[in-house]
Amino acid sequence: MSLIMTYLPLVVVSIMALGFAPLAWLVSRLIRPNRPTAWMEMTYECGSEPIGEAQVQFKFQYYSFAIIFVVFDLVVTFLLIWAVAFGGLSTMATVWVLLFFAIMILGVTYALKKEEYLWI
Amino acid sequence: MAYKSILDWITFGNIMENPWYPFGDLYNLPFDISYKLWEIIGGALAWLINLLLPGNPVSTWLVADGTSVGGALLIFMIVIFLVVFICTLLSLWMERKVLGRLMDRRGTMIGLKGFLQCVADGLKTFLKENTLPKKIDKMTYMWTVALVIGVSVLIACMIPLSGRWFVVNYETGLLIIMAFFALAPFLILVSGWAQNNKYSLIGGMRAAELMISYEIPILIMIMTGCFLAGSFNIGDIVNAQRDIWYIVPMAIGFVTFIFCATAEAERTPFDIAEAEAELVEGWQTEYAGMKWGLIMLAEYFRGYVSCAMIVILFLGGWNIPFVSDNVNNLVPELVFLAKVWLVFFVMILMRGAFARVRTDQIVNIGWKVFMPLSVLNFVIVLLLKAGGIY
Repeated sequence: MSLIMTYLPLVVVSIMALGFAPLAWLVSRLIRPNRPTAWMEMTYECGSEPIGEAQVQFKFQYYSFAIIFVVFDLVVTFLLIWAVAFGGLSTMATVWVLLFFAIMILGVTYALKKEEYLWI
Repeated sequence: MAYKSILDWITFGNIMENPWYPFGDLYNLPFDISYKLWEIIGGALAWLINLLLPGNPVSTWLVADGTSVGGALLIFMIVIFLVVFICTLLSLWMERKVLGRLMDRRGTMIGLKGFLQCVADGLKTFLKENTLPKKIDKMTYMWTVALVIGVSVLIACMIPLSGRWFVVNYETGLLIIMAFFALAPFLILVSGWAQNNKYSLIGGMRAAELMISYEIPILIMIMTGCFLAGSFNIGDIVNAQRDIWYIVPMAIGFVTFIFCATAEAERTPFDIAEAEAELVEGWQTEYAGMKWGLIMLAEYFRGYVSCAMIVILFLGGWNIPFVSDNVNNLVPELVFLAKVWLVFFVMILMRGAFARVRTDQIVNIGWKVFMPLSVLNFVIVLLLKAGGIY
């Protein structure tokens, strides 16, 4: 049996799942009222007149964590592959992966200690 | 073959013998149900057409093997979706009831102990006017929220309820669900930008920040579970804990995972992206009516998936320990759902008991508490596996 046939149920279900929300909006268009006013179309800002635009340049205060996150995401990807292949691997392969993981942990510990005062 | 009575059209044959059967050599209960439903619909249609025009090709086409599987797949889609939808509505009802009791009130009271209140609320949002602010980026605004809801519904549908109730028996089961699960914060970040509202922008940034802090511990703990079972396949992971649940070797991981899964579902105490006390509704501020209702529903879909992941990884999935296979195979779907709702009950208790964490606290908790705990959990499991106990 072909691979396409195996994944056909998933394709059908994902059409239903992803189409659920747009379909609900399309159907509700038939029965809901539509009387927009100037007040309704104003951006909400706790009842006062909105000041300026919100689509501005913004700063991620946690950028140092974001960088560690990107590095560690890759490490975990390697570990995930290693975890399922564990049964067929030699002892040396396991030792290398664990060494790699330990070095990464050490690096993160150092970075977190160093970045402790960088948080704004 | 001569077609005389209607029973010649509706045969209720064995679905596994159909050459187009899409699940290989595994029996699939929802597909069986939908196949029989399609046989009733298609067979009756074919019988009617054949009465009017005897010997026409349309009737035989309607009951052919391939057509039956195609029609059954359409009903299968609705069956899977409806079951997940009703489970989610039940957990929504449970949350409103239990949270009410925790706050010393009765919760929803209308119809079937308050269950119909959820349905009525859904209908109400359905009838609400579609409010679109002037300054938004409309395309992004609509598509991101449609995808947030769609992805949440999709992962809820992809969770298997038992060895016979699944959509696809993936070899990458947990991983693919995790990948779709982690997609939402990115969409929320884009959506917060598109709404052109300061609260939404801050909410979107907070969603990304939340993801940065819990994603690594949760992945390490999933890796540990897959390491014990030696597979990503959900069925294999569940069957590996037939008698001893993984909560025994991974006790530390279990506690950590409950918190991380709560954060993943963006529930209190980790709902900083929509903190209604500080940010109005966070990234949902500009969504009104039907859109807001569906976002709320998607949140419960995500809560359901979080609980299901805990049950699959730690609480033995659809198996009851120490019983014979006959008892175990009776209604594994209900066993699984009962466990999911039990975990969800704990999550409701957490929502009732804990205060929301601050934004700087969540990053520190994620990297300085959850992360070392998950690594410790992994080291314990590694020692157990190296010692030959598992």
